[in-house]
Amino acid sequence: MMRFATLLKNPADWMTGHDEENSVVLTSRVRLARNIAQAPFPGWARKKERQKVRDSLQSELEALPEMKAGFSHELSDLDSLQKQVLVERHLISREQAARNEGSGSVVNRKQSLSLMINEEDHLRIQAIRPSLQLKEAYQLAHSIDQSLEKKLTFAVDPQLGYLTACPTNLGTGMRASAMLHLPGLVLSDQITQVLKGIGKLGLAVRGLYGEGTESLGNLYQISNQSTLGESEEVILDRLTRVISDVSRYETQARGKLLIEDPIMVKDHVGRAAGTLTHAHIISSKEALNDLSMLRLGADLQIMPASLVEVCDRLFMETQPAHLQWSAGQKLEPSARDIMRAQMIREHLQSSLPAAIDISGKEN
Amino acid sequence: MKCDSCQEKATVFFTQVAEGKLKKFVLCETCAEAKGITDPDGMLMADEILAGGQPGEGNEHLSSLPAIDSLAKCLNCGFTLTDLQKVGRLGCPDCYRTFAGEIARRLPSMHKGQVHAGYMPAGLAQQQALKAQLSDLKADLESAISEEDFEKAAKLRDQLQELESSKEKGVSAS
Repeated sequence: MMRFATLLKNPADWMTGHDEENSVVLTSRVRLARNIAQAPFPGWARKKERQKVRDSLQSELEALPEMKAGFSHELSDLDSLQKQVLVERHLISREQAARNEGSGSVVNRKQSLSLMINEEDHLRIQAIRPSLQLKEAYQLAHSIDQSLEKKLTFAVDPQLGYLTACPTNLGTGMRASAMLHLPGLVLSDQITQVLKGIGKLGLAVRGLYGEGTESLGNLYQISNQSTLGESEEVILDRLTRVISDVSRYETQARGKLLIEDPIMVKDHVGRAAGTLTHAHIISSKEALNDLSMLRLGADLQIMPASLVEVCDRLFMETQPAHLQWSAGQKLEPSARDIMRAQMIREHLQSSLPAAIDISGKEN
Repeated sequence: MKCDSCQEKATVFFTQVAEGKLKKFVLCETCAEAKGITDPDGMLMADEILAGGQPGEGNEHLSSLPAIDSLAKCLNCGFTLTDLQKVGRLGCPDCYRTFAGEIARRLPSMHKGQVHAGYMPAGLAQQQALKAQLSDLKADLESAISEEDFEKAAKLRDQLQELESSKEKGVSAS
C-alpha cells in the first residue's frame, strides 16, 4: 500500500488534464452512499459495531483491482494535519475528518477514486474527473458499486432504493457536483441572477471557499439536491445541461466584458499578476482572488495559456494544510502567508517571468 | 409579604373562589402585570397563574404532549422517534420500516419523487423481475383455466414450474 507522503507527492489525475477548449468547469465529482444491511449507521453504532463494519469493508475495498497499490488507512492512524490535507484534496469529507476509530479511507493511486468507510454512511464511493465529465465520474463509481455488491449485501428497499443514514440521500444515494470558475459572471454582476436560476431548478449551489454568500476565487459548486424519484441518468442529464448552460453564460460574459471594457479586465488581471509575482506576504483570501483573476487572464489570452493549470494547482497547494505539509511542520497563519507568497512566486517564475528577479530565493 | 412568583415585595393581593375552593395569593406589581391581573378582562384562573403560565397557554399544553409514536423503538437498533427528531438521521436501515409514517411525511420536502427510480443491485432487480414474471404467468394460467383452454394452461403450468425452480436456485445461491 502507498504511503501518505507518496500519495501527496503526486498531484491527482484530475488536477491536470483539463479541457483546453473550455476551462470554466474544473472538476466533476459523483459520490454514492451505501450501507450494509441491518448494521446500525456509523452515527448510531457502538464503537465495536463500527469497527466490525470497517474490518469487513476495508479488506473488500483493498482487494478491488481498481484500488491496487493505492492508499488505505484507518483515520485514527493519521494526524490532524494529514487528515486536513485529505479534506483539502476532497478525498475525505470534513465530517469524516472529525471521526476517528472505525473510520477509514481507501484511495486509488491516481486519486480519482476515494472510498470513505464509516463517514455518515458505512460506505461512500466517490469518483472525481477533470472538467465536465459527470457521466464518466458516475461510471467509475458505479463500476466499484457493482463489484462490491457481489460480495456485500447493501441495504435497499424496493420503494425507497438505497437506505442511507440521512433521508436526504435516499434512493440513488447519489450526489453529483461540479466545480466552476465564474469570474466573468461576477465581474459583470450577473452571478446572483444565475445562482437564483439554478436554485429554482432544484439544484444546490454554493461558494467553494468562504462563508455564506461570499465566494473566494469565484469558485462555485453546483450539485443535485433530490436523490429519490428520478434515475441517475435523469439527474446527471439535468445537471450536465444546467452546468453547460452556466458555462456558456460565463464565456459570453467574458466575451462581452472584453469588448465593452477591455481596460477594466486587463487592469484586474495585471494587478493580480503583479501582486502574485511580487508579494512576500499573502493571505489565503488574497491569493484565491488574485489566482482567479490570473486564471481569467490566461483563458482570455491576456496571459500565457499554460497558467490555467498552474493556477489550479496553486488553488490546491496554497491551502493551509497543504502548505504546512510541504513545509514539514505546523505553521502559524503569519508564517503561512509568507510561505504561500514564496510558493506562488516560485511556481509563476517559469511561466510569468518578471523584469526583476522575483524568486527571492537568495534571501 | 413576598410575591409568590418572584420573591419581590408583594403589593397585589388576590382571592378567588373556584370550584367551591378558596384560593389566595400575593404578587408584586411587575408579576401581576405580566400575568394580566391588573387588567380585569385578562383575569385568569388561580391555578393557571400559579402554574407560571402565560394567558392562553393552558390549552396548548395538550397539543404539545408527545405523540404516541415517539414511544416507538426500532427493534433492530433501539433508535426512537425522539432520536430522529433530535438528529434528523436514522439509527439503521430497518428504522425506515419502523418510522415509515414519519419518513413519508418528511420526503416531499426533500425529494422530487417518493418512489425510487434508479439503479438497484443486480441480484435484487433480477429477483423482482422474476417475481413480476411469476405473478403475470399465474394470472395468465388462471384466465386460461377459466376459459377452459387446457392446452394453453398446460404450457403455462410448465413455464411456471420452470421459473419457480430457477428462483429457488437463485435463492440458495445468494
